[in-house]
Amino acid sequence: MTAVAPPVIRLSAVAYTYAGPPPVRALRPTDLVIRRGEHVAITGPSGSGKSTLLNLLGLLDRPTEGVLEIDGIDVGSASERDRAAVRAHRIGFVFQSFHLLPHRTSAENVMLAQVYADMPRRRRLGAAMAALAEVGLEHRAHALPTALSGGERQRVAIARALVNHPSLLLCDEPTGNLDTTTTLELTDLLGSLHEGGTTLVIITHNPAVAERAGRRVTIRDGQLAESPDDRPSGQDNRPSGQDGAHETLPEG
Amino acid sequence: MRRSRRASRRRVIGAASRFRLRDLGSEAMAGLLQRPGRSALTMLGTVLGIGTFVAIVGLSQTATGQIGKQFNALDATQVTVSDSGANQASKPTLDFPADADAIVDRIHGVIAAGVWWTVHFSNAAVSSRPGAGQGTQLSLPVTAATPGALRASGAKLDQGVLFNQFHQAHAQNVAIIGQTTATDLGIFSLQQQPAIFIGGQPFTVIGIIASDPRLPQLNLGVTVPSSTAQQLWGKPLAGQGASMLVQTRLGAAQVVAGQVPIALRPDNPKLLSAAAPPSPTQLRHAVTASLNTLFLALAGIAIVVGAIGIANTTLVAVLERAGEIGLRRALGARPRHIGTQFLAESTALGLFGGLVGASLGVLATLIVTVYHHWTALLDPRVVLAAPIAGGIVGLLAGLYPALRASTVEPAEALRR
Repeated sequence: MTAVAPPVIRLSAVAYTYAGPPPVRALRPTDLVIRRGEHVAITGPSGSGKSTLLNLLGLLDRPTEGVLEIDGIDVGSASERDRAAVRAHRIGFVFQSFHLLPHRTSAENVMLAQVYADMPRRRRLGAAMAALAEVGLEHRAHALPTALSGGERQRVAIARALVNHPSLLLCDEPTGNLDTTTTLELTDLLGSLHEGGTTLVIITHNPAVAERAGRRVTIRDGQLAESPDDRPSGQDNRPSGQDGAHETLPEG
Repeated sequence: MRRSRRASRRRVIGAASRFRLRDLGSEAMAGLLQRPGRSALTMLGTVLGIGTFVAIVGLSQTATGQIGKQFNALDATQVTVSDSGANQASKPTLDFPADADAIVDRIHGVIAAGVWWTVHFSNAAVSSRPGAGQGTQLSLPVTAATPGALRASGAKLDQGVLFNQFHQAHAQNVAIIGQTTATDLGIFSLQQQPAIFIGGQPFTVIGIIASDPRLPQLNLGVTVPSSTAQQLWGKPLAGQGASMLVQTRLGAAQVVAGQVPIALRPDNPKLLSAAAPPSPTQLRHAVTASLNTLFLALAGIAIVVGAIGIANTTLVAVLERAGEIGLRRALGARPRHIGTQFLAESTALGLFGGLVGASLGVLATLIVTVYHHWTALLDPRVVLAAPIAGGIVGLLAGLYPALRASTVEPAEALRR
């Protein structure tokens, strides 16, 4: 790997054990570095520890061993207050089930992310509209989620994740509830976000989604393994972080 | 030292996640308006409790005010002094001195005072013609009264005049008759100075009274100066002694009552006994207390039920909205932000319940008041305190659900 781009995520011997009884080791001691601008797919069968890894990367859980750093901050041992701040400013979440509030319009759902990131109220709508434009949904800004298709809903969720300009976009099975065509559209969107400099970590079952990633990591029985980076379609195979433009991107 | 270390860490991590008051307010409102029907039903208990509370307070204040008003008008300014000496005597007695009116008039707080008694005849004695036979005489009550008694009783004239100090001093044969008596006697106008005959004695009718609030019997009979009555028919009969009516200023009745017997009979005050009305405040308290205790207990129960309703609904909402809680945590909310939000929602429920309840309570008070043609009285502090009380109920009811909400595990909640 190149050493040019600074790491967004750094795992040093991170492990996770569910306190029993009996204790279950869901993630074995793992080293992993994800650099800015990378597009990483994490794949693995059910029960392999994907969710555990996701919860650790998303700061929803603390590692039981090892050191987890995001943007160089040791978030594994940080206070809950600091971890919440990192979630608010540096991590954007995209979930399989979208998690949109059903009674709020697309724009309002996006604006929810700005509440905790302490964005001044008068600037929220503008930023939300910009984020919706980024995912091509500004024309649906005032529609309720119930009036949106599955793909549109997930794009609203992505806009919500992007609105605070996070260091990392963490996607948990983003296409899990979408049909093939929509999956393709969404993968294209994620691909274009990556090209725009967003650091993407996608946890997925879908090989088609994983294939678009520049780097694939498989997890099996709590053990991480890098997949050989020798795919025929070289479109996204550009070594991440070599593009100097990514380094000057503003953080947070 | 510790502060600077924290500050430097803050710079690395960036600003802490926030949940501003305005955001808290709008998020709580949005949470309530998501399910307006449920929110309304949840408020119902608080609405009923607070509403009952306000209505009870309003109605009892109104009723008490009403009682006070009636008291102030008549009874609270009236002292009756009875001749207890005469009531125990064996022969006709009058323990009031001749200048009793003047003596009592000088007591501070007295507006008017006068002695009166009923003159007893063995047969019907009043007639409009001289020398009339038994059959044409009317059995009308004859009252002896001083001019002061007429003023103190508040007699209202239909026509003519009341007899005065001159008639009293000279024991004139003049009479005041009531309106019905005038009709019975065939007297319709005083222009001809009509005469009536009482026990054979001629009296000039100088006044016809329309009403007499304190001595209504005057309206139904004939009243003559007490000096004339005493000259013609003697003192009041034993056992049916005279009375004195004292009209006082508002609030002076109790004090005046204590002074009158001593002022009139410093030699033997026990001969006279003065009765003052019960203190209006005492009565007010008695009425209010008996009315309130039961209904306030009921209102209290309704409020408790309302609180349980809010607690229950908020708890259900916490369970239902686990996904939302997880999402908010993922978006950077701290546990206390989540807890505060649910606490704000339950408080708002209680507050709005209290607001609606207070409005309904005021409305109920008004309806009852208008129906009875009363004056509505309601302490504005009660109306203002009601929504606040509702808010406190909601706040207390939301404590446990808020605690539950703040301890929801985000990873777990997001999986659903």
